[in-house]
Amino acid sequence: MLTVTELMVFYENALAVNELSLKVETGQVVGVIGSNSAGKTTLMNTLSGLILDQQIKEKRKGGERITIMGKVEFEGRDISLMPAYERVRLGLVLCRERHPVFPDSTVLENLLIAGHLGSKEQVKRATDLTFDLFPNLVRWRRRKAGFLSGGEQQMLAIGMALVVGPRLLLLDEPLLGLSPAMQQVVVGAIKNVRRQTGATIVIAEQFARPVLPMIDHGYVIENGMLTMTGTGAQLMDNPEIKSAYFGV
Amino acid sequence: MAAVATNPTAPSPARQRKERLDRGIKVRSEDIYALNSWRELAYLLAPRVLPVILVLLLGFGAPLYWQRVLLSTMVFGLLAISWDLLAQAGMVCLGQALFFGVGAYIAGILNHYFGITPFVTIPLGALGGGLLCTLLLLPVLRLRGIYFAMVTLILPLMIERIIEATKIFGGTEGISGLTPLPGHGLELFLIMAAFWIALFGFRRMMTSDYGLVLKGINDNDRAVMSAGLNIYRYKAQILFLAGSTGAFAGAFMTHAYQFVGMPVFALDYSILPIASAAVGGLGTLAGPALGAFILVPMSELLRGFGGLRIVIYAVLLVVFTVGLPEGVFHFLRRKYTQFERWAEVSK
Repeated sequence: MLTVTELMVFYENALAVNELSLKVETGQVVGVIGSNSAGKTTLMNTLSGLILDQQIKEKRKGGERITIMGKVEFEGRDISLMPAYERVRLGLVLCRERHPVFPDSTVLENLLIAGHLGSKEQVKRATDLTFDLFPNLVRWRRRKAGFLSGGEQQMLAIGMALVVGPRLLLLDEPLLGLSPAMQQVVVGAIKNVRRQTGATIVIAEQFARPVLPMIDHGYVIENGMLTMTGTGAQLMDNPEIKSAYFGV
Repeated sequence: MAAVATNPTAPSPARQRKERLDRGIKVRSEDIYALNSWRELAYLLAPRVLPVILVLLLGFGAPLYWQRVLLSTMVFGLLAISWDLLAQAGMVCLGQALFFGVGAYIAGILNHYFGITPFVTIPLGALGGGLLCTLLLLPVLRLRGIYFAMVTLILPLMIERIIEATKIFGGTEGISGLTPLPGHGLELFLIMAAFWIALFGFRRMMTSDYGLVLKGINDNDRAVMSAGLNIYRYKAQILFLAGSTGAFAGAFMTHAYQFVGMPVFALDYSILPIASAAVGGLGTLAGPALGAFILVPMSELLRGFGGLRIVIYAVLLVVFTVGLPEGVFHFLRRKYTQFERWAEVSK
């Protein structure tokens, strides 16, 4: 479904993503595991096309020049130069890190804004699905999103991505800043998303322990480079992964 | 090899990218060792000393008309510096005319009603204007962004109407026949000195620890509060400094034109500094000053076009801001300190 070939991203002279090639098959849940500054977010921004906007903005400011090389293919189509909003229309949706929601709008309004392009029924279905997946949100539906807790905002952010109707859902650090209990709730919800919508999912995470059991295929990146790849079970058994990410 | 360059700005060779590197001389002259060599010393001094000399030569070599243009250029430059100073401390001000006008009126009143010499009225106008504007804006310091901007935009217009309605300080006629500064040369020298002192002084200030706090307030004021600093005290101090700078420009202009009237509160004095900052490049102080040196003489050169002047001026402004959005100063500085070359992307 998604093929990335020899992707390289430079922030000025700093190499953030180095010769990265990966493949996501339809229906899979793929994990991209890496510590801080491994290049996860840059990879996600490149896949979603947000980096193109960042590139223009930096240029306007006279800031860092962002150079992107390599190819991103979505369903056999080269989308390397396609702007982010068009990629979303193709079904490639990113849920950015640090749960970006509209803090001054209510939970319901947030979902409506996210579903602006969809039909009324579709939005209704997706909203119901979100409330199904995250029952915590139901009682806050008329509350301003800025007043929700971090975990609830993360749930809302995932909900907002779902409302768009993704075929390939990119989740950037969905577990960031959540308590272990809350992480389990979100992991459970992601599993449900897969079961109920059949969407293909890519998760970029540094918490390997909760993520590895649920993924079909995992890529471990370090300093922007692919260091290991395999199924979730294979990676879990790997001693290097154990020492680096499980702390044993 | 399947990979292709996806960067639209890169030319056809697929595995090359343009890299930006600091010039060797820039790196060598960063430290105290710059004093070792004339070349490095010259590299450091040229962008600072050359403009001063150039303006000095221009000022005293040009015919009287262009001397006056240079004078008002520097006045607008001071206003632009004062605007950028406020902007760097997180206060977007739309009312540079307030500072300018208050300073102008204080100097005018002191000179007309009390017969005080310009050498006293100008400093008094600068300090008093800064103080008065700070007091006026003290209650709204807690406002941020557009609300602060609105208040600063309204205040000069309000004062203008008060003077018109109550007919104080000469009303719509203004006060004329004020004491001129002795000699054009001294006049020009005074404004040049003030301009360079403000520019280099404030730039120095922004690189100090104090300036660091100001930048912090602009970036994230809550984080600055969390560091245990009273941001309103800092904001008031900067307001006083920026206000005094603007008021000095006003007080100086009063004596240069020997007249003070309602036009000193006009929108021009609020808008042109912002336009200069946009053209020159925000956040460097030198950028807005450079912007004033581009915009004010340009507007004079366009006088020949009559009614179309404003149109051409506006189009040029758009061309500048769209074509070089980072600002002229940022662009020049980057070219001066860095070079670019095509680099093979290692396989």
